[in-house]
Amino acid sequence: MLRLLATIRKEWQLLLRDKTGLILLFVMPVVLITVMALIQDAPFKDYQDIKFDILTVDNDHGRLGRYVREGLESGGQFNIIDSLDGQPVTAERAKALVNEGKYKISIIVPAGATAAIVSNANRIVNDITQRMGMSVSLPVKKGADSLNVTIYFDPAAKKAFKGAIHQALDNFLTQVETDMLLDRIKHQLRGKDSTAAETDTLPIRLQAVGLKELSTGTAKQLDVISNSVQHNVPAWSIFAMFFIVIPIAGNMIREREDGSLLRMKLIPGSYLAILTGKMLFFVGICVLQFYAMMLVGIYLLPHLDLPKLVMGQHHGATLLVASGIGLAATAYGILIGTIFKTPNQALNFGAISIVILSAIGGIWIPLEVMPVNMRVLGHLSPLSWGLDAINDIYLRNGDIDYVWKNVLRLILTGLAMLAIAGWVEKRRMN
Amino acid sequence: MMTGISVNELYKTYNGSAEPTLKGLTFQFEEGKIAGLLGPNGAGKTTTISILCGIVRSDSGEVRIHGLKQDAAHRESIKHIIGIVPQRIALYPQLSAVENLTYFGNLYGFKGKALRQKIMHYLELFGLEKSANKEIHKYSGGMKRRANIIAAILHDPKLLVLDEPTAGVDVQSRSLILQFLKDYNQQGASILYTSHLLEEAQSLCEEVVIMDEGKMVVQGNPLTLIQQHPACKNLEDVFLHFTGHALRD
Repeated sequence: MLRLLATIRKEWQLLLRDKTGLILLFVMPVVLITVMALIQDAPFKDYQDIKFDILTVDNDHGRLGRYVREGLESGGQFNIIDSLDGQPVTAERAKALVNEGKYKISIIVPAGATAAIVSNANRIVNDITQRMGMSVSLPVKKGADSLNVTIYFDPAAKKAFKGAIHQALDNFLTQVETDMLLDRIKHQLRGKDSTAAETDTLPIRLQAVGLKELSTGTAKQLDVISNSVQHNVPAWSIFAMFFIVIPIAGNMIREREDGSLLRMKLIPGSYLAILTGKMLFFVGICVLQFYAMMLVGIYLLPHLDLPKLVMGQHHGATLLVASGIGLAATAYGILIGTIFKTPNQALNFGAISIVILSAIGGIWIPLEVMPVNMRVLGHLSPLSWGLDAINDIYLRNGDIDYVWKNVLRLILTGLAMLAIAGWVEKRRMN
Repeated sequence: MMTGISVNELYKTYNGSAEPTLKGLTFQFEEGKIAGLLGPNGAGKTTTISILCGIVRSDSGEVRIHGLKQDAAHRESIKHIIGIVPQRIALYPQLSAVENLTYFGNLYGFKGKALRQKIMHYLELFGLEKSANKEIHKYSGGMKRRANIIAAILHDPKLLVLDEPTAGVDVQSRSLILQFLKDYNQQGASILYTSHLLEEAQSLCEEVVIMDEGKMVVQGNPLTLIQQHPACKNLEDVFLHFTGHALRD
């Protein structure tokens, strides 16, 4: 125990003297997660919070144009713009402005669109009443006009964005057509029923089956959506924790080069106690780093107009995951420090390998949006196990039952790396 | 007198190396003596010391330290007997002498007041008491060498192994170090010392082994060896007589 405690104290003394190391371990990660959360905030808001300007040309001046405008405005995602410089926007100008990229989208409602819908509704009602033996004839336009609501998209617009707009407009068209038809039917029925005509409360339910979104979890389910902070703070914290391999590898190489490793091995007693002390210290530092960054997510980022980080309700599970990540990162540092002969080699390999492991592990972009092959590869990255476990706790309100498999993976990988480091060191000595 | 170090038919080839480093090295030193292990670069001195200390395994042959065979069964016991002073300064440069010595003392199992007193005693003995709390990287070369020796003797080893303990130090530090080695030897400890400073080895050592290309080429008292070879005026001449003038890079 004395060897273990002495090693922890020695590492602490070394860290306190290493001002650059302290900055690297605690200040840089805070800057990193703040910057990443800020710059990735816009992409995360793409289809959630950002308001788009939509150029609207209403040549119809009827119910369809009004429905489209009201429908788009009610979602809160779009600003409707129908005049520029005090002049109504024309179809030609709207097309040109979207093509230039000044607006992402333009919608042109053609003249006579509502009339065409009314005529179509009248035609259907006439057909129904005639079949029922009634002699009612609502006005119907001769010949069927082929009218389209025209949409112009910025050529750079994403496919998902286009799909969402198409879907929304299609809904508005359907809604207007349905409303018109129901109006006409009610109007005809009122003619046959004087009581209904007086009260005008004919109950026609358009939707027999609706849509309702419910949470998948228990009563304790958190109302958390994946936003920039919920993704970036844990993701880049894990990335920063793995960067502890740089000081650890440097520390190992220096100890080997200056002979203090040799001195330690010549002292009676197991070297394992010294190694365990070193591991515990650096795992502790990783856990401290993790919580420091979580505090940034909770207290600092909201001051920068970002959402507040929500850490879930199972803090024991969070501590376990942070410790598992710390252990894997520390073991990786010891492995790199054992394999490489100079701090420069270790620095370059360590930094580049962490960037690669983080890229494939879903730190930069979620694994779900990667190609299938990369997704399979990504699930082999220890960084992805850490992130999955944190997401389980933060977003799904998971407890230890949710995360133990990923924590076990991290621990076993750490132990495997230590075993390889031991084998390499033994081989080097002989 | 008992044999302090016994090396018998030691062979060692490192992984990936075609040429053996040790080729049947054999020598003995009696307990309680100051012995020198001398040889040109690449002769196998460091490998020999590493095998003596138990951190490198030999391919074949036998090593005994104070009668104990250097094997898995006795490795821990031998660690209690040996203190090693590596050529490099095996201390943490960012820590002070006291912090370094406290750490290594703790690893030996010493703690508290007893350890502090021991550290202060040795710091005074080596003239480092005023710089006890100064970081090692602020020390001069001689001060570092002296602190390096203290770290190896905290557990009062019966055999002190020093790899070029006076390389690159000033005259005063060298004088202090050599006087300490003589005094420590007077207290009953054996000392095994390697150096390229043959004049120093001649005056310090009671017995020397000159080795070359992994083998012992001659062993004896320095003055006796000089007398046995009339063409040689000093140990350096004896050394060159047995190892030749060819450069060893």
